[in-house]
Amino acid sequence: MRYMIGGGIAFLLALVQASSVEQFKVLGVTPNLLLVLLVSWLVVRGLEDVLPILAVAGVTLGLVGLQAPGVVLLALLPIAGLGIVRELGVIHSELVLVLLLVAGASLAYETVVLMSLMVTGGGYDVLRAANEVVLPAAIVNLAIVPPVYLFMRLARPAAPRRGFAS
Amino acid sequence: MTARTLAWTGFIAIAAFVLMGAGRLTLLDPVENVTLGVTAPLQEGLSTATRPVADWVNNLTDAGELSRDNQRLREENERLINDLARAREETAQVQSIEDLEAVRRQFPEDSFLDAGVIARDSSNLRSVVAIDRGRSDGLREGMIVVTEGRSLVGTISKTFDDYAWVTLITDPKSAVSAMVQESRAEGVVAGNYGGSLIMEFVGQGAAVKEGDFVVTSGVGGGYPAGVVIGRVAKVEKAEQDLFQEVSVDHLASLAKLEHVLVITSFEPQRIEEP
Repeated sequence: MRYMIGGGIAFLLALVQASSVEQFKVLGVTPNLLLVLLVSWLVVRGLEDVLPILAVAGVTLGLVGLQAPGVVLLALLPIAGLGIVRELGVIHSELVLVLLLVAGASLAYETVVLMSLMVTGGGYDVLRAANEVVLPAAIVNLAIVPPVYLFMRLARPAAPRRGFAS
Repeated sequence: MTARTLAWTGFIAIAAFVLMGAGRLTLLDPVENVTLGVTAPLQEGLSTATRPVADWVNNLTDAGELSRDNQRLREENERLINDLARAREETAQVQSIEDLEAVRRQFPEDSFLDAGVIARDSSNLRSVVAIDRGRSDGLREGMIVVTEGRSLVGTISKTFDDYAWVTLITDPKSAVSAMVQESRAEGVVAGNYGGSLIMEFVGQGAAVKEGDFVVTSGVGGGYPAGVVIGRVAKVEKAEQDLFQEVSVDHLASLAKLEHVLVITSFEPQRIEEP
């Protein structure tokens, strides 16, 4: 049941990203709300919770966002690797951790998409793409972290209270 | 990482590569066709619901009304400019070759197929939209797409049974043989990241000024000649460079396309290498 709900949410998130968020242009790029939500989810809820949602969201966004099938999924995969940073417990502030992971995941996402486009079609100016797309995308995604993270914190179920008897 | 998360990660990685392979072999085309059909109304609803907010954020003003007015005026302006540009083009053609029939051969009794834009590329690196017409409507890859005001939008890059992808001229991989209408200076209009257009390979000696019309030249056979692309927005000349760099503004807002026309009467020519 938990996975069904998660899958439904992921499907909706991908649709929102493809149809609503793409209308917003800041610094010439579209914020990746889906990626920021997944990373915030990762930090707040853990890697095990986020991976099934990542899979559904990646496949859906690939299909409805006019991407080559599998590319979005591959571009979101570094989030799983970045999850190790959370497991290490080196950074204690959740917000700082989300900011760091969003920066890393955004750079990885755009780089993977760029690489896949180059492999399948070529003709891309890598330096220009890095300047005009990859870096601005990371900056714009960082800008939307605070409200998204706050929302995720509020959505986190409260830890069960323990009585004196337990 | 637990065994469970490792298994999920491996599964996602394998699924990504399998999907990419299947996509390259066009095995997923029926799935994409069905998905677009099912999600198109949802996407349209979400897009319509969000548009006022997006307008407001993008313009940083109370842009709802202004944006609609602006859009209407732009469309009207685009139609008028296109009429003027086409008239100029025909005049120039007639004057240069003194044969109206030749012009008519370049502009045959064009037939168009109207289509609605149902989805947009979600990446920042490409400019592609999906339209609600496909192979069953007679569309083929390479066909030319224009706005309702007849300025160039792009070409059909992939077709499904009921839908098609249109690669916009603002896509970084797009290149269109073009010329400045007033001076007849030729070049190539290329797309750029962020949706801008640059006209490249315009010789230093060519007289190009802001406000000039840029139209397709027809060189290469991929596009019909004389289709309006936009107007010159900025000209940069550096003495040490071989070419001028000309920024071109598209007449219509490609980011807000809702309806387009596919030219079904024009057959792109494939020119073989000698």
